[in-house]
Amino acid sequence: MEYKVVMPQLTDTMEEGKIVRWLKKEGEIVKKDEPLVEIESDKAVMEVPSMKEGVLVKILAEEGEELPVGAPIAVIETEVEKAQTIPKKVEEKPARKEEKKEEIKIPQKKPEKKEALPEGTASPSAKKTAAQLGVNIKKLQEEGKLPVPAHEKDIKSYFYSRFFTKSALQLLQRYGLSPEEVYQSVKKDRIDKKAVEKYIKEKNIPEISAPSDIQRILIKNLSKSTQIPVYHITHPFDVKYLLEKKDYTLTTYLIKVFGDVMYNYPGVRTIYKEGSFYTYPTSNISVAIAVDNELFNPTIKNVEDKTLKEIYEKLQELKEKAKNRNLSVEDIQGATFSISNLGMYGIKQFDAVIPPFHSGIAGIGAAVDGIITVTFTFDHRVINGAQAAMFVMDIEKRLNDSNYLKSLR
Amino acid sequence: MMERDETVVILGEDVGFYGGNYRVTEGLYAKYGEKRVIDTPIAENSIVGNAIGMALGGLRPVAEIMTVNFILIAMDQIVNQMAKLRYMSGGKIELPMVVRTPQGVSKQLAAQHSQSLERFFTSVPGLITMVASDATAAYYGLKKAIELDDPVIFLEHELLYPMKMEIQKRESFDPFRADIVKEGKDITVVSYLKMLHDTLKAVPVIEKELDVSVEVINLHSLNPLDMETIANSVKKTKRFVIVTEEPKTGSFAAEVVSKVSEELFYHLDAPPLRICGEDVPTPYNRKLELLSIPTPEKIAQQIVYWGREHGI
Repeated sequence: MEYKVVMPQLTDTMEEGKIVRWLKKEGEIVKKDEPLVEIESDKAVMEVPSMKEGVLVKILAEEGEELPVGAPIAVIETEVEKAQTIPKKVEEKPARKEEKKEEIKIPQKKPEKKEALPEGTASPSAKKTAAQLGVNIKKLQEEGKLPVPAHEKDIKSYFYSRFFTKSALQLLQRYGLSPEEVYQSVKKDRIDKKAVEKYIKEKNIPEISAPSDIQRILIKNLSKSTQIPVYHITHPFDVKYLLEKKDYTLTTYLIKVFGDVMYNYPGVRTIYKEGSFYTYPTSNISVAIAVDNELFNPTIKNVEDKTLKEIYEKLQELKEKAKNRNLSVEDIQGATFSISNLGMYGIKQFDAVIPPFHSGIAGIGAAVDGIITVTFTFDHRVINGAQAAMFVMDIEKRLNDSNYLKSLR
Repeated sequence: MMERDETVVILGEDVGFYGGNYRVTEGLYAKYGEKRVIDTPIAENSIVGNAIGMALGGLRPVAEIMTVNFILIAMDQIVNQMAKLRYMSGGKIELPMVVRTPQGVSKQLAAQHSQSLERFFTSVPGLITMVASDATAAYYGLKKAIELDDPVIFLEHELLYPMKMEIQKRESFDPFRADIVKEGKDITVVSYLKMLHDTLKAVPVIEKELDVSVEVINLHSLNPLDMETIANSVKKTKRFVIVTEEPKTGSFAAEVVSKVSEELFYHLDAPPLRICGEDVPTPYNRKLELLSIPTPEKIAQQIVYWGREHGI
């Protein structure tokens, strides 16, 4: 039977013992009470006798080893015959204290350039922003200038109010500039509107704005107009007689005259759309009306049947509606010819662009000594030069016909 | 697909003569016959096992498991064979197969018929897990899944079948690219299957209450996950929410939140938010059933509270 020899407690205070010398070798017979091993306690070195008789089959603790009290140090086989059958082998010594440390090697990484994050209680992105802007979160939180926890918008709004005036911030917003970028460039303790204006000038930054819905439609239509093959006819008209008449504006008279002549020219009442000609039965004339940056083209219908008074009143009504942006769909439909007058600005002569689905447009300049210069632009697909020339000359005839002009009411 | 490629076959319980429990395979039996539209016994492990065998033999099987709740019987075939054969053969074996199955809470089918188990599939290396959250993803996504030479678990949702939806025409459809179904700049919300639709219902309320704009991302594939789209969105919005129907603990949603936290930590201006089902077996009682999963009202409320708490 195997008997385990353990580290004996040699004194009442002993916790560990050191094996000094084994007095028996493995395989030797040990008698009871025969000295087996020398042990150094906390006080002295003592010989420890064997408690059993048998063969010392295994030494578990080597000389020099320190072990706690109760730890096995050797094995004795009490049945001698049995011990003979145990093959002698060089045993691996268990409980070896010398552990080979596997060293963990971490390959060196290139250090990334990272800003140290400021202290304080804040979200990760708030901290990152604060680091970029140099905002001391902890200090400001102690001073009560930042909430706890702080979020990105708190950092930004603190930073903005700290370095920018209100009007400067409004200006930045208008130009879509980031305050952080401007601050990096201007680097002042207090950035006001003037400083931002200076920055905008220096960097030549444009103000970007989106076109209004009406402008967008206009842009789309004008771009379409460029695909129309056009030609121009420029002709002076003598309108002294009309200018002397103070009852209605020149534009009113011109609309009437154009409308009456148009009635005899189906070509001018025709538009070209998706491979077909559309000829309308009456003289419908649109008038270009500018309101701020927007342009409207409302229509006066049945000009041939209208009196000057009706035309004048309709014109006023359309101008009013355009100003208030409440022209109806009906108001802007059905015209085949258009009039644009820049005479009131002093422009003597200009080409106008044909609005979509018109046969032409007349650009009217300012009167010089009672003579106005009108430039007609025609859609060549609808009306050719000869017809257009006859149309223009008919207008001249009417303008020189005082009887006709007198008959207008 | 079946017309173009005669190696595509369908197998499953009642997919043939009956036309599929949810009418997904309706008309195919009449058109392609019993050799290509195969009614199987009620034995899920053998359905998947047979499909694996067919795939090894050069076919492109599409196996239907009636609902995800019954796929657990087949998990041995799915996890130990389907997901691993390509790897264990050093890439010599291809498994061009799809296992289709609907999941999720329908209406009062009780705990054993109402589960969402995407976590089980997305956590198995070697499996592709796709979802069909709308008609577009169902049409193009399933086509892509069948075309792929790797095994795909294709999850559908029981309540999406009766929903009327248009298929958007797509020139190209990449199932591994998530869709941004709604653009926004303040909160990123990721979802899929039915919860995507509930999220979209909640969004107007959230936007009104918090005065923000919400970006909604629809995942077509759960694994592999399109982190690129998520990352770009979170870098812009700085806030991340994921809405799923599965119970919260150990959910797929947890995996996505982990990835977001690991990769996008310094972009976050608020803790990530998971809106998931409750950690209970789905109750049969309709009121309790609705209490156990996210609903449009709950999604809106949770995001609004969370937003107010974290600096919106």
